Amino acid sequence: MADQEDDLEPAPTGEQAAVKQGPVAILTQVEKTYQLDSVSVPVIKGVSILVRHACFTVLLGPSGSGKTTLLNMIGCIDKPDKGEIIVADTKVGELSDDELSDFRAKNIGFIFQNFNLLPVLSAYENIEYPLLLAGASAKKRGTRVPRLLEAVGLSDRAKNLPGQLSGGQRQRVAIARALARKPKLVIADEPTANLDSQTGAAILNLMRRMVERYEISFIFSSHDPEVIKAADDVIHLKDGLIQKIQRKGFGDAS
Amino acid sequence: MMTLNLAIRNLLRNRRRSLATLVAMSIGCAAILLFGGFSGNINYELHTRIVQRGGHLQIQHRDFYLYGSGNPTAYGIDNYEKIIKAIQEDDVLNKMVVVATPSLQFGGIAGNYAASVSRTVIGNGYVPEDINRMRAWNDFGLRSKAPLSALEGSSLDAAVVGIGVARVLQLCSELKIENCPKPETETRSDGNALPADIAQLSNLESPSAAATGNTNRVEVLVVNAKGAPNVTSVNVIRAEDQGVKELDEVSLIMHLEKIQQLIYGRTEPKVTAIILQLRHSNQVAEAKERLRPILDKFSTKQPLAIQDFRDLNPFFVQTVQMFDTIFGFVFVLIGAIVLFTVSNTMNTAVVERTVEIGTLRAIGLRRSGIRSLFVIEGTLLGFFGAVLGVVLAFIVSAIVNNMNIPWLPPSNVEVVPLTILVAGETKMIVGTTIGLICIAIASAWWPSHRAAQMKVVEALRHV
Repeated sequence: MADQEDDLEPAPTGEQAAVKQGPVAILTQVEKTYQLDSVSVPVIKGVSILVRHACFTVLLGPSGSGKTTLLNMIGCIDKPDKGEIIVADTKVGELSDDELSDFRAKNIGFIFQNFNLLPVLSAYENIEYPLLLAGASAKKRGTRVPRLLEAVGLSDRAKNLPGQLSGGQRQRVAIARALARKPKLVIADEPTANLDSQTGAAILNLMRRMVERYEISFIFSSHDPEVIKAADDVIHLKDGLIQKIQRKGFGDAS
Repeated sequence: MMTLNLAIRNLLRNRRRSLATLVAMSIGCAAILLFGGFSGNINYELHTRIVQRGGHLQIQHRDFYLYGSGNPTAYGIDNYEKIIKAIQEDDVLNKMVVVATPSLQFGGIAGNYAASVSRTVIGNGYVPEDINRMRAWNDFGLRSKAPLSALEGSSLDAAVVGIGVARVLQLCSELKIENCPKPETETRSDGNALPADIAQLSNLESPSAAATGNTNRVEVLVVNAKGAPNVTSVNVIRAEDQGVKELDEVSLIMHLEKIQQLIYGRTEPKVTAIILQLRHSNQVAEAKERLRPILDKFSTKQPLAIQDFRDLNPFFVQTVQMFDTIFGFVFVLIGAIVLFTVSNTMNTAVVERTVEIGTLRAIGLRRSGIRSLFVIEGTLLGFFGAVLGVVLAFIVSAIVNNMNIPWLPPSNVEVVPLTILVAGETKMIVGTTIGLICIAIASAWWPSHRAAQMKVVEALRHV
């Protein structure tokens, strides 16, 4: 599989691109029910949303509101029971498991609350891994990985294993890994929840910069007021339903 | 390459568990190889003794194998010397055949009439020099050597008997046989038991014990080729352990020329078998093929057949099969232990790394990639476990072989140093290594399949 992008140079301007590009994800009447023993628990009850290109979108809601489930479905690691999901102009419901894997590798980056770095790989190798999965050449990897390390401020920690890094540093590696293939969308499930407020703010700034620099859409679940302040779009969820959508420059919508 | 790299690092990450699995595997592998080396050596010992005594091939009258025991001399081979000459002159066979020698089997009665004892015997007449050349055959490089026949260089009337024959004929003290208590059953030993007619016949052939004063002399009564009884007196020069009690009780070995004189008199002598010993046992099939047209020339008046040493010694085949079966059983048993050990290790790894599996799947690794990762880990465990096992088996076998522990293999007549043949047994080593690697792969397959089938969200949610 060849890479479409040759490097991680910033896009001309985020706003211009956002106007030119369509939404990165469209969810139409999506429903999801979990079966817990003999009890059916509806988690998402007919949600329709649109995730804009090169925007910082936050899913906001109390525990059990369906934020993570919705993120998982947008990230193509879970499937809805009903409704349609289009990510990067692809109806993901029609893809086979292998096609979905390839699709995720190419289009979606993940940042987890617990970082989820591979403990046996160094910071450099963790960032390199998605590129290896994509079959990127050694030359390309050799160019891109140091740039990403530099972008997240960890050039001097390239050889460290995750166990030798602090929480904030691990999350920076996770961000760099998520950005390695320059995906169209990055899914981040409470990325600052396990960090202290100062580190969390720094990580948030970093991600914000990445959105602007690389024209990548970020979609978060979070309770963190700082995250909400930094967001372009805020989607309020409650009991599996959308309560309100706030879009910067567009006002509120229900 | 990345998957291999990741697999190696994952194995190194849990060093203690990987090491425990490797130790279990290597001990299992070494146990298989040591048993294989031990049983293989027994097979080689048996194989070598059989070839040393009876050669690889025997040319016999077609019916001799099935009916010859009743009256061996009725199945004699005419022109045996010409047959041997033809074999020796064949361009291909002369390169394969080490010894081509005639033998004559006969049945008769051996009597020590000075002690008033006699017994039926099954005799063989050989060319002693050829017999001793055959006993030098050692294609497998065994450390033990077969004892040479005492007949070589002896007078024509010399004979060698089985220990059981010597015991019954009360030749123990003369032949210095141990474990030979005098039987409680009284036997007459008035020295006049030799019937006059037999004594007369015997004296025609050679001087009797009574005449020479040699107490080792035994009268041998046979039926000659014309059906008449004939007797000769032989000088028993040694009693040899035949390795099997039944054979020990009846064996009498004489010079071929002597027994031919006794059976065929002045008529053309015959033999009951032409023994062919080849350089290597794997030449049997080729030699058989080459022999057929030669034998056809001599089969116009006598149907000849070629028997190989496996046909002639069903005990050997049964022993090899028995050890092969036990080896297979041991392999299956240890293979099962390896299967459960590796499977347990891989199952634990899958449980421990569930979140990692979810992460890898989320960032785009296919199910097959997850499966490959765990299968490669199992394969590496299998490979290194087997290699360590081979090294361990080499070390243990070298130690045991250098200790020179004496033991008596089945059907052997002499105590030999206990030998475990691992070095040089390439087929066994490669077979066991590949077998164990395959078992390790099979044991890793199910956990890897389970890992690959995990739902990404459930794997990521795992605590």
